[in-house]
Amino acid sequence: MGDIHIAEERCKGCGLCIDACPRGLISFAEDLNEKGYTYVEFTGDLEQCTGCTLCATACPDQGIEVWNKRGKQTFENTTGLTERMSHYCPGCTHGIIHRITAECLQELGLLDRTVGVAPVGCSVLAYEYFNVDMFEAAHGRAPAVATGAKRARPECIVFTYQGDGDLCSIGGNEILHAANRGEKITVIFVNNAIYGMTGGQMAPTTLPGQRTSTSPDGRDIEATGHPINMAELLATLSTPAYIARGSSHDPQHVLKTKKMIKKAFEHQASGTCFSFVEVLSTCPTNWGLAPQESGDWVRDHMIPQYPLGVIKQPESVS
Amino acid sequence: MTKVLMKGNEALGEAAVRAGCRHFFGYPITPQTEIPEYLVKRLPQVGGVFVQAESEVASINMVMGAAGMGIRCMTSSSSPGISLMAEGVSYIAACELPCVIINMMRAGPGLGGILPAQSDYFQATRGHGHGDYQVIVLAPSSVQEAVDLMTLAFELAETYRNPVMVCADGMIGQMMEPVEFAGEPDALPPNEMGGDDWALGVREGRKRRIVNSLYLSPDELNEHNLKLKAKYDDIAAKETRHELYGPEGDAEGGGGYDLLLVAFGTMARICKTAIDDVRAEGLRAALFRPITLNPFPFADLRRAMDAIEGDGAVFDVEMSMGQMVYDVKLAAEGTRRIEFHGTAGGVVPSPDEVAQKIREILGAAPA
Repeated sequence: MGDIHIAEERCKGCGLCIDACPRGLISFAEDLNEKGYTYVEFTGDLEQCTGCTLCATACPDQGIEVWNKRGKQTFENTTGLTERMSHYCPGCTHGIIHRITAECLQELGLLDRTVGVAPVGCSVLAYEYFNVDMFEAAHGRAPAVATGAKRARPECIVFTYQGDGDLCSIGGNEILHAANRGEKITVIFVNNAIYGMTGGQMAPTTLPGQRTSTSPDGRDIEATGHPINMAELLATLSTPAYIARGSSHDPQHVLKTKKMIKKAFEHQASGTCFSFVEVLSTCPTNWGLAPQESGDWVRDHMIPQYPLGVIKQPESVS
Repeated sequence: MTKVLMKGNEALGEAAVRAGCRHFFGYPITPQTEIPEYLVKRLPQVGGVFVQAESEVASINMVMGAAGMGIRCMTSSSSPGISLMAEGVSYIAACELPCVIINMMRAGPGLGGILPAQSDYFQATRGHGHGDYQVIVLAPSSVQEAVDLMTLAFELAETYRNPVMVCADGMIGQMMEPVEFAGEPDALPPNEMGGDDWALGVREGRKRRIVNSLYLSPDELNEHNLKLKAKYDDIAAKETRHELYGPEGDAEGGGGYDLLLVAFGTMARICKTAIDDVRAEGLRAALFRPITLNPFPFADLRRAMDAIEGDGAVFDVEMSMGQMVYDVKLAAEGTRRIEFHGTAGGVVPSPDEVAQKIREILGAAPA
């Protein structure tokens, strides 16, 4: 028998943990929590819980901690994030990507010398959530700010956390040249194929035919071009780099992506190369899909356009 | 100290190094390119960092990154490049980070031309990006003064945690003059800015810090702007600098001139020659030269205006279509007639041209 603790007050009722539990032990409560969300609760037989941690892995809001049947805590909230509730919409996987990034920094013992750079976009407030020194940069300029920070203090671990509008559109030049110079920084690139914060406009990563508020009839590739595969594009540069793409749409992929992010930070810590991890994520609000359906949409529509895996690594490691 | 003959741009690069700056981020643009070309060789000699950025947009954001880590740093550019930096300077000012920006002004608008101009006065003195912020602006009129002002620029930037612009024109950057540097070339000050209570970096147990300009609460953002305003007021009260040239005796106390010229930078230097020429003819003209364009020395200029004999006029001369003249009018508050002469496009008025204008204003016969 394992044990899980669900922090009712942190729950936004996205239900991703319900889907994640292999034994169907979590369900929505009848009541609303203080914030007005239908929270989840453990309703199954505790004897059946194996403490597998998939529920906590799927939770975007640091809302679940898990113990295994021997009473050992198998999932503990990371100290790499502050306790502040995020502003992200229910089911948005930004929270998950924040968490695995912070977990990697914590596990590598880097939190005390890490400086993050937040972007403009949905994750503009990332500086409130990462429990490290943080910049908030102008739209798209995070790789330039990170360049200056890293060149000033090479002993620090410097990372940027950027969305697709920020990195791929307005900041296209900054990311391209930071990668080409081989800056020893780590870039976490969150791709949800849409502009979230401004309310769902077309991004360079929007899929052909995808409806957004500025492509109401679906993205017309004749007029607006094709989606930009940023990871592959950066991988064409001759400069050594670690470039990978993961996804946050289910717990298994979250765990695989976490390994990529950890590898990226390891490359920076050893001074090996520029590192870049693109993470496919969801935007239930602007896609007009439920959180679970959003995960399916990533699987069925985004991954075919944006294949997962390590796309490039420095030669010495391959 | 020995004098060395140096090109203005190179001398500015050396002056930055002597002031303890070891991090430069920039992008080539005429007529300032000798600054990065000098520093790419000089900085490695002192363990410094030179990064040629992909654009001026990136340069200024790299400066933000390095400044936020508490490391003395700078960039340099010329007019069109400075326009591209507007966004970043607004963020740096909002975040209260110290940095130095050199603007070796060239002629505009648009791509304009590569020859000297002073047509970025508005841009420099009104905080050229968005929002209520100000940049301290220093305007040298010789290579030596440019060198001296670089040291002051870093001091002011760090004292007030604010961007400082050294605003010269292409003439200063391109000409060679004898200069001497304070300090020793191999005994440089540390490049730490003393950001013990604000800079990001290795935490060693301290509370985490955030360099940020986002305030979603109107009240908090209002408070932030009031705090910045109080700082700018403090700077205005303490840091204005100017030169008064040519009056007989103690001009601050009582006259000695019938016409007061106002000019800055290269134009001021030309005006001095013109003043020397007309004074030889018995015409009593003097020059007020603002060294800080922002804060503008309003009170000092007004005192100099009040000391003009009788109902004598003020004569503002610029290598622009008339930008500083608005501040001159503000200083006068309608008490003096303001004459203006300006050229644009890289056309630099000659001393003779200025002298002739002085004669016209004073009703004297042409020389």
